[in-house]
Amino acid sequence: MNLVGYVIRRLILVIPTIIGATLIVFLLTRAGGTNMIIAAYLNPRIPYAVQKAALVAEFHLNQPLYIQYFYFMNGLLHGNWGYTRTGIFSGPVTTAIGIYFPNTIQLAIVAFIIAMIIGIPLGTIAAVRKDTWVDQITRVIAFIGISLPIFWLAQLLQTYLGTPQGIKIFPLQGTVSSIYLSGIPWINNYGVSSPTHIMIIDSLIHGNLPIFFSAVDHVILPAITLAFFTLAGIMRYMRNSTVEVLNQDYVKFARAKGLAEPRVIKKYARRNALIPVVTISGLTLASLLGGAVITETVYGYPGIGYWTVQAMQNFDAGGILGATLLFSFTIIAANLVVDIIYAYIDPRIRLGE
Amino acid sequence: MVGANGWYLKSGSPRLNNFKTTFKLLLRNPGSAIGLIVVILYVAVAVIDQVYPRLLGITTDINTMTTNFTHPVPVPPSWLHNFSNWSLPFGTTFPGIDLFQAIIKSIRIDLSFSVAVVAGGCIIGIILGLYSAFFGKWLDQLIMRLTDIFFSIPFLVLAIAAGFFLGRSLEILAIVLILVWWPTYARVVRGQTLSVKEMSYVEAAKSSGVNNFRIMFKHILPNTMAPVIVQVSFDLATMILLLAMLDFIGFTPANAYLPELGYLASVGYGYAAIGDWWTLVFPGLTILLLALSMNLLGDGLRDAFDPRLRR
Repeated sequence: MNLVGYVIRRLILVIPTIIGATLIVFLLTRAGGTNMIIAAYLNPRIPYAVQKAALVAEFHLNQPLYIQYFYFMNGLLHGNWGYTRTGIFSGPVTTAIGIYFPNTIQLAIVAFIIAMIIGIPLGTIAAVRKDTWVDQITRVIAFIGISLPIFWLAQLLQTYLGTPQGIKIFPLQGTVSSIYLSGIPWINNYGVSSPTHIMIIDSLIHGNLPIFFSAVDHVILPAITLAFFTLAGIMRYMRNSTVEVLNQDYVKFARAKGLAEPRVIKKYARRNALIPVVTISGLTLASLLGGAVITETVYGYPGIGYWTVQAMQNFDAGGILGATLLFSFTIIAANLVVDIIYAYIDPRIRLGE
Repeated sequence: MVGANGWYLKSGSPRLNNFKTTFKLLLRNPGSAIGLIVVILYVAVAVIDQVYPRLLGITTDINTMTTNFTHPVPVPPSWLHNFSNWSLPFGTTFPGIDLFQAIIKSIRIDLSFSVAVVAGGCIIGIILGLYSAFFGKWLDQLIMRLTDIFFSIPFLVLAIAAGFFLGRSLEILAIVLILVWWPTYARVVRGQTLSVKEMSYVEAAKSSGVNNFRIMFKHILPNTMAPVIVQVSFDLATMILLLAMLDFIGFTPANAYLPELGYLASVGYGYAAIGDWWTLVFPGLTILLLALSMNLLGDGLRDAFDPRLRR
C-alpha cells in the first residue's frame, strides 16, 4: 500500500473515534440532566427564560437521545460549542479556545524542546554507558520524573525560586510582568495579548523588547516544570531504542570499519534510535496537555488548562464541555499526525496489519 | 508504558507458577527490593490506622482528628526546637490538625481508592482483552476501536467533566475512572492472548473438547498475567498521582476530616509561601515516595518475570 492509501485509510479510522469520543462526552453531559445541555449553551447576555424554550427546540431535548446527539454534533460541526462564563472570560467557547489555546501550545512546545534537548543526549549516554553509574543515575532521574506529583514540583519551584522564601530569580506567575497589564492596548488584564495571543510573538510583532524579555522570563519556570514531567519518558525511550540499535549489524559494521565511536553513535545509531521516540511524542503530547492543566493553574498562566480549572471552580458547564472536547480532539489529531509521520519514516508500517 | 509486543513467552512455560524464582529475582534488584518494602510499609500503615491506630501513636477516635483552634496557624515540627520531642513529627496544618495523623489517614484513602479503580479496570480489561483476541474478527475490531476512543480522552479532563456533571464524590470518580481505565489492560491481555492461543497446549485442549470459556480462563489467562501485574504496579502509582492532582485543583469538596494527600499539599501551598515549609513538603514527599516505590516495584517485576527484557 502506498502512503496516500495509508493516509486515507487512517483518516477513515478517525471518524469512528471522533464519533465515539463526542458520544462519551455527550452522554456524560446528558447524565447530569437536560439542564446541563441548556447550561452549556446558555448565552449569558440573554435572559434565561427567553432562551430555554429556544434551546430545547434547537437541541431537540424532548426527543430520544440519539436525535439529541445528532443535533449536538450538528451544533459542534457548525462551530456552536456553547458559552462559557468564568472570571477570566465570558463569551462563546470557541472564542475562549482561540484566546487561551495558543498559550498552552507555546508552553507545550517550549517544554517539549527543553525535554528533547536534555532527554535525548541523556538517553544516548545512558545507552552507551549501559549498566554503569551513569545509567543508574539517569534511571533514578527517570523514575523520580514519572513519580513526582507535578503540582508539588510546580509549587516547590514557584515557592523557592519565585518568592523571597527561597531565592527569587524567577517571576511568581502570569505571562508578563504585572506592570504591563494595564495601559498597553494589546494586552488585557489577564495577561493575554493580541493578535496571536502568544506573548513572546506578539511583543516582537509590536517591537516591544522589554515585554519580550519579561514574557520569556515568565515562561521559563512553567516550561521547566512541564519538561521535567515529560523528560523521563523521552529519556527512557531514547535509551532503550539506542541500546537496541547499537546491537544491530550495521552499527557493528561501522565499528568494524574503524569509525570513531562518536561518529558511529551520531551518524549511525542516533537517527535510527529516534524513530520510536517520534512515535511516543503523541503520548507525550497527551501527558503534556494533562500536565499543562496543573502547571498553568499553579503559575496562573492563562492557557487552556487554567481556563478549564476556572470553569470547574465556577460551575461553568460550557467551559467544561468545550475543554473536554478540545482535549480529546487535540489528542486524536496528534495521534493521526504521529501515525502518518511514522508511516512516512518507516515503510513497514504501511504494509503491515 | 508496557507494550504488549514486548512480551513473549517461551513455548508453554507458565511463569507465574514459578513464584519463588520471580521473588528471588525481584529481591536481587536493590531498587525494587526497596520499592517492595516501602509499599508494604505504606499498606501496613493504612491497615494499622484502620484496625489499631494506637500503634501509630494516634490516641483519638479514628474518624476524627484533634483540631486545635487556638493554633489555626501551622505549628512547626516539634523536633525542630527540641530534638527529643516527637509529639508533632510533621507539625500541624490548617486548621490546627496534626499533619502526621492527617497524612496517615490520607494514605489509607489514597491507597484504597487507587486499588479499587485499578482492580476494577483490570478485571474489565482482562475479560474484554481475552474475548477480543480469542474470538477475533468483528469483536476484536469493535473492542480495539473502543480502546482507541477511550485513549483519546485525557483522564484528568474526563475526571473533571465527570465530577462536574455527575457530582463531586470519590465514589462517582472511582466508577468513572474504572470505566475508562480498562483499555490498557485489554490491549496488554489481547497481545498476550494472541501469541498464547497459537501454542500447542491450547490446540490440545481444543481438540480434546474443552469448551471455550474454560480454555480462555483456565489455560490462557494464567499465561497472560505477568505483564498485567507489572501494569497494575505502574497504574497504582499513576492513580495516586491522578487523585492527588484532582484534589489539588479542588475536585473533591474541601474536607479537613477526610484529608487526601493532594488536598493537604494544596493547603500547605498557601502556607509555604509565608515560610511554613512543612505543610507543603511532607504531603508531597509522601506521594513521591509512594509513587516512586510502586514504579520501582513495577520495573523490578518486569525484569523478574522476563529476564530477557533486562537490558
